[in-house]
Amino acid sequence: MKRVITGDHAVAMGAKLCRVEVVPAYPITPQTLIIEHIADFVNDGEMDAKFLTMESEHSVMSAAAAASAAGARVFTATSSQGLAFMHEMLYATAPLRLPVVMANASRTLGGPPGIWCEYNDSMGARDSGWLQVYVEDNQEALDMIIQSYRIAEDKRVLLPVMPCLDGFVLTHTVEPVEIPQQEDVDSFLPPYSPDITLDPARPAMIGTFMPAEYIMELRRQTALAMESAKKVIGEINDEFARRFGRNYGGLIDMYRMEDAEVALITMGTVTSTSREVVDDLRKAGKKVGIIKLRFFRPFPSEDLHKVLSGVSAVGVFDRSISYHGGGPVFNEVRSALYGNSLPIINHLAGIGGRDVTKEQIMKMFDVTIKAAKGEKMNLINWHNTRGESV
Amino acid sequence: MFEVRFHGRGGQGAVMAAQTLAEAAVIEGNYAVAFPFFGAERRGAPVLAFTRIDPEKIYSKTQVYAPDCVVVLDDSLLDTIDVVAGLKPEGTVVINSKDKPEDIDLGKEIRTGAINATSVALEILKAPITNTTILGAFAKVTGVVKIESLEEAIKRRFGEKLGKIVGERNALAARTAYEKTAIGRSKGIKKLEPKKQWLPAYQELPVGGALVEGKTEAGLIGPGSFIENKVMGWATFRPVRDREKCTMCLLCWFYCPEGTIVRISDRGDLMTNYDYCKGCGICANECPVDAIKMVRARV
Repeated sequence: MKRVITGDHAVAMGAKLCRVEVVPAYPITPQTLIIEHIADFVNDGEMDAKFLTMESEHSVMSAAAAASAAGARVFTATSSQGLAFMHEMLYATAPLRLPVVMANASRTLGGPPGIWCEYNDSMGARDSGWLQVYVEDNQEALDMIIQSYRIAEDKRVLLPVMPCLDGFVLTHTVEPVEIPQQEDVDSFLPPYSPDITLDPARPAMIGTFMPAEYIMELRRQTALAMESAKKVIGEINDEFARRFGRNYGGLIDMYRMEDAEVALITMGTVTSTSREVVDDLRKAGKKVGIIKLRFFRPFPSEDLHKVLSGVSAVGVFDRSISYHGGGPVFNEVRSALYGNSLPIINHLAGIGGRDVTKEQIMKMFDVTIKAAKGEKMNLINWHNTRGESV
Repeated sequence: MFEVRFHGRGGQGAVMAAQTLAEAAVIEGNYAVAFPFFGAERRGAPVLAFTRIDPEKIYSKTQVYAPDCVVVLDDSLLDTIDVVAGLKPEGTVVINSKDKPEDIDLGKEIRTGAINATSVALEILKAPITNTTILGAFAKVTGVVKIESLEEAIKRRFGEKLGKIVGERNALAARTAYEKTAIGRSKGIKKLEPKKQWLPAYQELPVGGALVEGKTEAGLIGPGSFIENKVMGWATFRPVRDREKCTMCLLCWFYCPEGTIVRISDRGDLMTNYDYCKGCGICANECPVDAIKMVRARV
């Protein structure tokens, strides 16, 4: 069934279809609609979940971790300052291997405060052990809630997953979304059945004090789980594609990359706009393509190395700045491509929610194409920024 | 470089001892560092502290593994810990013991200075906190710092924190120990089996470190495993209850941090499980009718 709904509504529908059992929640723009829709579902008896209104996001993630440790399938959603406030508990959830799924409505983290899209909220959680996936439309937002539970609860992974959707650009935009049938989701996603839970009948210790004699092994175990997730994400993507007919590519997706000489690495909704730009450039005879970076954690280093082996330059879009010069994605891509001599050019745009136009994306390609031809270009380019800009 | 390892129990002041020794060395124009190693510490649990002394700036930031001197603030530690592990053959042990050096079995024949620091501390400080007392013995046995420098360091550090009088009393405790310390050689008979520890590789560690009740070669793990952790050896004092005075108000039962006071409901009585009592004295302190007295568990 197709419905014309917002990204937030799609996310809430996804949580409902996954038969989530516990939802600790605290509202924050632009995530609020997710929580409101779920509150309605629970109130109207459409969703058999415990809905907990918490006093802060720190409490939200504490409750989420505890409910997950007790064996429940847990969902929540947050954004920006909310994500920052629960930062401490993100670091508890992942190494304890609690497969919580939390949508993040990407929003600038201030001050100065703002409510529009930027990735500096989730980028700060890079090293928390959470998987992060960035979606480009409302359909993908819904579908990735469903896939996220399969990935998170896979025994080879058992890590929390954070699907990120662009604040307002998706959260408050309506577009047609195919709502999967409940029975199809049920057969794709079996109930969560952890080996060890907090159960008085079978006492267990989860998250107790751990001295130096154990923590390095625990970190190595968590790192290995994140590495295993790369394979699992691919498998689950393929199974989802077979069952539901929508293939998102796995860790990365590609558009017109077959014979591309110049590539732009994009994330989130900028990917969507870039598809039209690529079509225009292709019409003008430019051999360009897009690599959509879907998962930021685990980072698809091997995939990027492979798909970029044939291109002569790559541009990297970043929607936040890391204050080391460029953006965090740029830094990761350069690290992944170490030893590869092709020019890697950073394109900063859309920060603080500034609209990323086709003209800006065109400019990103222009600069990258010039670099491919051997012209000396700036490594880091601020697009549509007053002062010295590209 | 002169390196010292302190073995004590939480509450005996091993960390303050290590810091005060460092300060005494600095007073004499040396460079010195002192640092603790904390496990899951609480009053009575074994603790470690370290001091390094050198004429030049010290860069090493690791623990001490081959000390020149080992200071033992509590000889009950000898039952469970190989205190002379890594000690240099020409090194020295300074120990709080009622015995003469020749009667102390350290599992290694080694130059040893012994002082009944608990008695000295109880007499002068009215508390079994042996850190300043043992430092007097350290000065006597090693000569690494002068007793006068130690007295000055004690007055500074303890005086600053606890007042001039306390500083002076602690300096007096050090001086008293300095004069009473016996020097000799320890016995080297016993062999201490190192305590087995459960140390799983990352593949063997349960996912996320979650534990259910389990048994390993090194003992129990998971919920309930603490039953193997008997602490009666930690106690300098133990509580003794006068049944006649006791009104069964249960404040002791409520306050005991270790849950060692057990209610025997059919008799309307209480029992202290000394296996897990570390002698903190909270029960005696809280008893509104003074029915609980703390008595020396060991001399």
